Amino acid sequence: MSAIPTVPELQDQPWHLPSRGRIGMLSLIIGESAIFTIFVVAYVFYIGKSLSGPTPGQVLEVPIFNTICLLSSSITIWLAERRIERNEIKAFGLWWGVTIALGVVFLVGTGLEWYKLIYHDGLTISTNLFGTTFYSLVGLHATHVVIGLAMLLLVLVFTLMGRVTEHHAERIQVLALYWHFVDAVWVVVFTVVYIVGR
Amino acid sequence: MTDTVQHEAGREREGTIHLPAPTAWPIVLAFGVTLGFAGLVTNLGVTVLGVILIAVGSIGWFRQVLPHEQHEDVPVRVQPVTIESSRKFVERIEVSEEHRAHLPVETYPVLSGVKGGIAGGIAMIFPALAYGLIAQHSIWYPINLLGGAGVANWRNPTTADIAAFHWEGLLVASVIQIVACLLVGLLYGAMLPMLPRRPVLLGGIIAPLLWTGLLHSTLGVINPVLDEHIAWGWFVISQVTFGVVAGLVVARESRIRTAQSLPFVVRMGIEAPGLMHDDHSQHSGEKH
Amino acid sequence: MADQTLPISGSVDVTPPHAAAGTFLERLHGWVVTVDHKKLGILYVVYSLIFLLVGGAEALAIRIQLMIPGNHFLTAATYNQFFTMHGTTMVFLVGMPILFGFANYLVPLMIGARDMAFPRLNAFSFWLTALGGLLLYFSFIGGPGLYGMGAAPDVGWFAYAPLTAHVFSPGNGTDYWALALIVSGFGTLGTAINIVATIISMRCKGMSLLRMPLFAWLMLVVSALTLVTITPLTAAQFMLLIDRYLGGHFFDTQAGGSALVWIHFFWIFGHPEVYVLVLPAFAIANEIIPVFSRKAIFGYPAMVAASVGIAFVSLGVWAHHMFTVGMTSVSNAFFVLSTMLVGIPTGIKIFNWLATMWGGKIRFATPMLYCTAFVFQFLIAGLTGIILSVAPWDWQLHNSYFVIAHFHYVLVGAIVFNIFAAIYYWYPKVTGRMMSERLGKWNFWLFLIGFHVTFDTMHFLGFLGMPRSIYTYEPNRGWNGLNMVVSIGAFIQGVAALIFVYNLVWSYFHGEVAGNDPWDAWTLEWATPSPPPDYNFATDPEVKSRRPLWDLKHPDDPDWKYE
Repeated sequence: MSAIPTVPELQDQPWHLPSRGRIGMLSLIIGESAIFTIFVVAYVFYIGKSLSGPTPGQVLEVPIFNTICLLSSSITIWLAERRIERNEIKAFGLWWGVTIALGVVFLVGTGLEWYKLIYHDGLTISTNLFGTTFYSLVGLHATHVVIGLAMLLLVLVFTLMGRVTEHHAERIQVLALYWHFVDAVWVVVFTVVYIVGR
Repeated sequence: MTDTVQHEAGREREGTIHLPAPTAWPIVLAFGVTLGFAGLVTNLGVTVLGVILIAVGSIGWFRQVLPHEQHEDVPVRVQPVTIESSRKFVERIEVSEEHRAHLPVETYPVLSGVKGGIAGGIAMIFPALAYGLIAQHSIWYPINLLGGAGVANWRNPTTADIAAFHWEGLLVASVIQIVACLLVGLLYGAMLPMLPRRPVLLGGIIAPLLWTGLLHSTLGVINPVLDEHIAWGWFVISQVTFGVVAGLVVARESRIRTAQSLPFVVRMGIEAPGLMHDDHSQHSGEKH
Repeated sequence: MADQTLPISGSVDVTPPHAAAGTFLERLHGWVVTVDHKKLGILYVVYSLIFLLVGGAEALAIRIQLMIPGNHFLTAATYNQFFTMHGTTMVFLVGMPILFGFANYLVPLMIGARDMAFPRLNAFSFWLTALGGLLLYFSFIGGPGLYGMGAAPDVGWFAYAPLTAHVFSPGNGTDYWALALIVSGFGTLGTAINIVATIISMRCKGMSLLRMPLFAWLMLVVSALTLVTITPLTAAQFMLLIDRYLGGHFFDTQAGGSALVWIHFFWIFGHPEVYVLVLPAFAIANEIIPVFSRKAIFGYPAMVAASVGIAFVSLGVWAHHMFTVGMTSVSNAFFVLSTMLVGIPTGIKIFNWLATMWGGKIRFATPMLYCTAFVFQFLIAGLTGIILSVAPWDWQLHNSYFVIAHFHYVLVGAIVFNIFAAIYYWYPKVTGRMMSERLGKWNFWLFLIGFHVTFDTMHFLGFLGMPRSIYTYEPNRGWNGLNMVVSIGAFIQGVAALIFVYNLVWSYFHGEVAGNDPWDAWTLEWATPSPPPDYNFATDPEVKSRRPLWDLKHPDDPDWKYE
């Protein structure tokens, strides 16, 4: 507090604050990022420290198709966000459905990959350090995909029931923020597991 | 949470306020999550119960907030209450003029310190070389003394050894001389405005004397070999030469305003309209 | 300005008072289903105070055990469980919940909001925290333990690997520790998200960020810090559970895993955690010291900057807990320097508190007594912290009682003192009645004396080489007398705590009626009735300065002319 009287600022300025939903979701994303950081750091630290096989180079295949699906779902959900703002519910439902489909394809792809790793290559979470870190990091991400898909599906059901209007645009955008985060994390996981770690 | 109380000052008025309705679903969901985890240390049946509770709790919570958040209306009757204090008397702390007397309103630019350091650094070479020529008949002697501190393999050198030319000694001495002179010059640039009277006397003579005294008393411990070879009289002369020359050069430079008299927020560059004001000269204590 | 009265109104509620209505069961139901931030805040504080007594009782049991050499008051196994549970309880079930309780109760009131941003999430978070704590204590009776005396965790509050591996910790103790803290960690994360969203999105008109009370500012910093602090612990505990349940190898040194990774992960949580606990204590001092000095806080922007600075620096100092594990000299030097760096913003704060008091018309009511003691004790705690940040010194004293003394100086001398200050200060707002000043003075002086007898003495035990976590010691070590003194001090503190509890209960029924604003304070919560109605403010308040109530009380000399 300075000792000189000052001119008070104009009253009656509009008073705008950020939306609580967005701030809440961003906070959650910051917290989640810390969790992922710890798992990623553990993964990177343990690269090449397994005492026995199989090693990532022997058994991992780069899931290009999966990755394209998940990353493009970020674009489709963005298109859906734009549609709901303009109250084009049908187009919104379409893009939203495409997003879910892409997410499901990714999940199925991960499931197939794990099936191959477990039954053909004999890699389980307790086999070696690679198994432990791989399944926990990719599994953590997949858990987030599952949670995200469940929420997206809920919105789709309500859209089909005709309950979603443009008034829900903000809530839907907050949810989409989470989905974008899940996709962004995959970029990190993909880089660390399939490019750096192989 | 819109409130329907009419905004009308001065008299009693009634209305209702929307508040979120109490709900048990959060505790059900929390209990479910806890049981879900607790099952791992007790019995998997507990986990199953937890998962059921989580499902029930989620659905209940969902129906609580969608399609509309459930509210309860609390009726209120509002009566304006005047907020007063029994402590009506406000006293401002009397800050005497002396308090900010030594806060520099103006200071020398950073570059002036650098210039002073360079000038002083060059000037002090001459008495040092003169000492070398007169006392030891070699200009390399003082250079090697300074640089020898940096030459690692130099143990117990003889006087003749010090008087000879060594390129490592010259290199290290030059680096030490340049860095030290620049830093001390910067320090002078920052310090001189704060010395109340006769800055050149204080900064140029007394400070080098204090510095030399400190070195004289500690060098015997830090580097006894070097200590034996230093002629302290000459040392003082070259230090004082540096101090006086650097001080004069700095003092001749024009001064610039410090930001000390501006409010903290302005100095931080924070946009705060209420905090800016035009006349900051009047309370900045024009006394030095 | 023409109109000097801001639209802050007291109000009269036409509905009958809630407390009087209904049977006991109905009232209990009201507390269970509540989503009101004030009720949840009270629940948090009461829950934490109960666990404070439990954790305190564990500490007293530890002190009885260590009073004389070769004692057998506790068995070695129980002793291990007690010091583990004491640490875990005090940090996770007392420190964080009580501070989040204060934030819950006060932040919406201070920023002029009707409730938190997410009221139902708020209830969910509290119940997660509470049930997590109960799950932790259920370990004493539930499930077969290693020693046949319950399965309470006994691996130390930092649960270092590889001690937590199945081979070394059979039974369920470690699982209880991890699971309970994961559950309460979710609750903490929820509360932190809620507080951040509340402070950013729910401020009343005119409450710009630089006009918020410092309490709200620090809670914003703490909550943001919590987001990235508690989550690494949750992640690491999931890894521990993967190791223990699914046969993973994260911390399994036999399979290439590294115990060191756990230590890093734990302290990446553990050190910022200290600041999560101590910053709310600063927040309390920031409110109480100005009011009882009758002056505005000195250096508000510097206080904000210092708090944000502390939060940032605190994320880069964790390995100063690890100087003895053998890091490279570069790492050692980095963590020495970054740790010392914390001293700068902290020093700014101490100077600002002193400058706030300087020239003020100080009134030493109980809250101010506690805050004054806090400033000086925190200074000492900070100085021993700087001492310990010097790696070679730490090599000498690591895991000795000097370290114990240092961090108890922070946790008790700073945090618990300010928790007491906060309760004495805001009790009238919460209950409508003042706490007894006479008992308060007894409480303060006894606690102060007990504190110094215990923890000052502990420093010397550390110098004499007494390590932490030892069950007992031989009589010829030269520790006998000092240990006796430490234990006596602990009991003096115990008596003071009982006086405090008695004061809480007695004042609820017999305390002097407080009125809206007993301390003549300046933040918005004192504009509401005591206790505040469910909706906090009948009309939405609007503020023009950092001290809205000052503006109302001194219409001819308001703050907004000067800020």
